[in-house]
Amino acid sequence: MALLELDGLTKRYGGITAVNGVGMRVEAGEVRAVIGPNGAGKTSLFHLITGVVVATSGEVRFDGRSLSGMSSYQRCQAGLSRTFQLTSLFPEMSARENCRVAAQARLGRRWQPWGGAGVFREASARGDEALERLGLTEIAGRPAGLLSHGDQRLLEVAMALAQRPRVLLLDEPTQGLSVEETLTAVETLAGLLADGTLTVLLVEHDMEVVFRLAQKITVMHRGTVIADDIPSVVKQDAAVQAAYLGGYA
Amino acid sequence: MRGLIIAVIVLAAAPLGLPPFAMTLLTEALILGLLAMSLDLMVGYTRLISFGHAAAYGLGAYTCGDLLLHTTLPLPFAVLAAALASGVIAIGVAWTCTLAKGVSFSMLTLAFAQLLYAVAFKWTAVTGASDGLAGIPRRAGPFGLTVFQTKNGYYYLVLACLLGAYAFCRSLVQSPFGAVLRGIRENEPKTLSLGYNTRLYKIAVVAISFALGGLSGALYSPFAGFANTDLLFWLFSGQVLIMVIVGGKGTLIGPILGAAFFMLLEHVLSLYTESWALFFGLIFIGFVTFAPDGIWGLMRRRARV
Repeated sequence: MALLELDGLTKRYGGITAVNGVGMRVEAGEVRAVIGPNGAGKTSLFHLITGVVVATSGEVRFDGRSLSGMSSYQRCQAGLSRTFQLTSLFPEMSARENCRVAAQARLGRRWQPWGGAGVFREASARGDEALERLGLTEIAGRPAGLLSHGDQRLLEVAMALAQRPRVLLLDEPTQGLSVEETLTAVETLAGLLADGTLTVLLVEHDMEVVFRLAQKITVMHRGTVIADDIPSVVKQDAAVQAAYLGGYA
Repeated sequence: MRGLIIAVIVLAAAPLGLPPFAMTLLTEALILGLLAMSLDLMVGYTRLISFGHAAAYGLGAYTCGDLLLHTTLPLPFAVLAAALASGVIAIGVAWTCTLAKGVSFSMLTLAFAQLLYAVAFKWTAVTGASDGLAGIPRRAGPFGLTVFQTKNGYYYLVLACLLGAYAFCRSLVQSPFGAVLRGIRENEPKTLSLGYNTRLYKIAVVAISFALGGLSGALYSPFAGFANTDLLFWLFSGQVLIMVIVGGKGTLIGPILGAAFFMLLEHVLSLYTESWALFFGLIFIGFVTFAPDGIWGLMRRRARV
């Protein structure tokens, strides 16, 4: 059984169908990228999976359990952690505090209105571990709002990672980065994914990034899936070529 | 920390050195300080801007007044019960107000306070309508304790409540719960997406803020001996917000200083001019423009230099 399954997922806004009957299976330990031209419905799909937007029809199943009716924070509690296309951090907190608050969300006594040394210790340990895995230990003490854009993108991944998610959803992790920053970020992410313990669903624009990181690729066009396979097959697919890749391969 | 201990000692020794009229002013300043501090939990720590905090004060004041007038509950118990009632009612208020965000949230808090204001004018049996509640006694007890009936005894009761509330708030904002509030303040959508039910946290902080604001109101009505609709008026809500901002939001101590500053200035300026509010307005503009950290921010900057 796949860890994350989408079944006939559809979202209509009035007369516009943003996502049209999308089905997908993400196995545990798999790194899957969703690609497609602008307006293909990638980010809408992300919103449907994370519960930011309610589906018109269809279903998301996580570990065999339907997520229908669950709000975004409940889905996160269930083990789906995400990053945003536009960087979203706590700008006045240090990078370390950002990760600590993220990790705290998955601890049993996260709401405790007094003391909390134990909660903070455990959350800090998880946060610091995530920072280290993304090579951010050196800048951990700096306010997140003052970090370089590249470090901010990675910090957001670290925050999601600090939650020890079962599925990590990354919405364009290299969005807005310079060529050099993209290279660094991709190598850092590749290192992170190398041991195969993380299950990742990735929306990305940059084909270099996709082919470097993903084991499986789902191609979307106008709300529907037009290809779903391993990278080498997707590259050769005629429909994909026509819709999107435009002779990249 | 050392400054805090000195402040507590000075406040505890105040009745030895100050004339009775000054003690009356000081008691009222501490009561208002407690109110402003309670609002700071929402405004300074969660960025929930309430334009209706007079509602908490009025709820506490009327509830405590009614309990003292119509039951035999001793004063300290009546005060605590009124604070609790205010907090419980706030759960419903917060449930409604948190359906909205930003300015709409602020407008809903204002609307709710105005609703209570209107109710207070009509519900004669409970609020005495435009006459208000008069002759609220400081009933003795428990165990025949009469210390709170004296001016200075009552001052110590107020001081103890303020210090207790301060310790409680300090612990709250430093706890895991407080860390989530800070997350909501800086980026609520992110906090939600990290798996926190942010609305529940907001409802909780409003309820706590109202309970402490209610405590402040509950201390006021037996102190003044009366409660009237002025306590629920929107202008008063605005004044409390000004106390928080002038004192220094998000610091707990700042709003207490802001309340004292407001009272002192009102007292002194009104000796010279009837339009004292105009001058206070100018001072407020000055703070917002040149010292957004407020009085407490200025004092801390000074201490660091």
